[in-house]
Amino acid sequence: MPSFSLTPVEKGILRCRHSGPFTPEDIQALTAFFREYTGKLLIDLSGSEPSECLRHIKHLRPIMPAAAIFGADLDPKILEIDTSYYASEVRWFKTEQEALDWLRNL
Amino acid sequence: MKTASALNTYLKETGGWVAAQLEACTRCGICAEACHFYQALGNPEYAPVWKLEPLRRAYEQRFTLAGKIKLALGMEKRLTDSDLEHWSQIVYEACTVCDKCAFVCPMGIEIGPLIHKVRTGLAAAGLVPGDLAEATDKQKTIGSPLGVTDEMWRERIDWITDEWESNIPVDKAGAETLVVFTSIELMKFPDNLAFVAKILNQAGENWTVSSKGREVVNFGFFEADEELTKLFMHRVFQAAEELGVKRLVISECGHAYEAFRWTAPNVMKVPEGLEIIHITGLIHQYWKTGRIKIKEGAFDGETITFHDSCKIQRLGGLIKQPREILQVLAPTSFKEMTPNKEQSMCCGGGGGVISIKEADSNRYKVFEMKLEQLQDIQAQAVCMVCSNCRLQFVDSLAHFNSAVKVHSLAELVARALI
Repeated sequence: MPSFSLTPVEKGILRCRHSGPFTPEDIQALTAFFREYTGKLLIDLSGSEPSECLRHIKHLRPIMPAAAIFGADLDPKILEIDTSYYASEVRWFKTEQEALDWLRNL
Repeated sequence: MKTASALNTYLKETGGWVAAQLEACTRCGICAEACHFYQALGNPEYAPVWKLEPLRRAYEQRFTLAGKIKLALGMEKRLTDSDLEHWSQIVYEACTVCDKCAFVCPMGIEIGPLIHKVRTGLAAAGLVPGDLAEATDKQKTIGSPLGVTDEMWRERIDWITDEWESNIPVDKAGAETLVVFTSIELMKFPDNLAFVAKILNQAGENWTVSSKGREVVNFGFFEADEELTKLFMHRVFQAAEELGVKRLVISECGHAYEAFRWTAPNVMKVPEGLEIIHITGLIHQYWKTGRIKIKEGAFDGETITFHDSCKIQRLGGLIKQPREILQVLAPTSFKEMTPNKEQSMCCGGGGGVISIKEADSNRYKVFEMKLEQLQDIQAQAVCMVCSNCRLQFVDSLAHFNSAVKVHSLAELVARALI
């Protein structure tokens, strides 16, 4: 079973749903996808154990496109990144609606 | 005060070489037509000859009779702080020091190195654009212009090792080759470390990365602050000496290659006997000598082209090496953009430009010309050997909604290994 799925939410926004433990192949695929995808991401962690992906969120953070994360409690420190020229904005929200509203206004 | 600092620097920098270069200029303007910023934006102030104006004025007004007379008669003005602030925008935000201007100059004037000296004066005057200065400061204090701390570096190397199932030796005693990556690779293109590792391991290389000399990019060199340039290179040379390696491999950074290969021997002590090579040259050597084998036609099908990086191809001369490999990987679908090789046009992101937010509109405008070159040959993918160029391509292609894929040479070679 794949560890994540990608489904359209609306034009310009994709839902990336985490659904299980990652394999190295999943991380490699996500890295390539994040780098090539130019839209916005709604990252849904509600269907899994956050502990399965926290390390990867931290390391994928610099590659992520603009993204809103919801569905699990996150230590905001994981998303902290140097305010440098290469990174897109990524934020954590309590609810899906808040996340979506932020993405739509971004 | 700013002007005094800049002028003192310019006068200090003015030796026989600078004087000869400035005197040789006939103001023909051919350099303007070679400048991608001038071509894209049409601003006459972006002509390379005009970028040298602060240095020229300082030289002429101090050392030549004509300059002194012009000044006395009010035909020429002394430089002011606001003049220099204006030139800071011109030479940092509309110049990548790509040196194509020098390539076309009929007098053979080395315009790029002279623009570097203009930057040196501006850096001494504290007139480096804020974003660039901030990145430089981070490299000085943290060790990385992108803010990668020692802890982050180790964690990220571990993550790459785990997720790409690669072997990246850290601080390996007895290693013969030290590979130093860029923060851009580490943060934006982490798979590139795994691809390079795969190639080196397959070649049977006895290699390592260093936790002390972990950053090859040199923002001191972008600023043109000689002391910082030396400090950042010293960290790497010191690591090389401590590890006792015989070879230093510069990963995907053009300016770093220039700094380590050509600037370092002129401004500081380079460890004796240390070979300095770009990763492109090393991969080519492995392939030529049979230490690695690649699958012929592995990427045949989609039209792929090669972007020449100014400092690695035009300056460094590594022109045929990536092409020989690409012609094996994509024998029927490799196509050249025009212009190419020594005449290639800079991507617009080098020389620190991509790190300056205020320069975004300039670099996007320049990239439009590169995009046209890609479209002219209906390229579906582009390969390159500089992570700074790659960042500019990835960002700008997204900006223009282009679907062209961007690859590093190491990535293609690693994927085609047999």
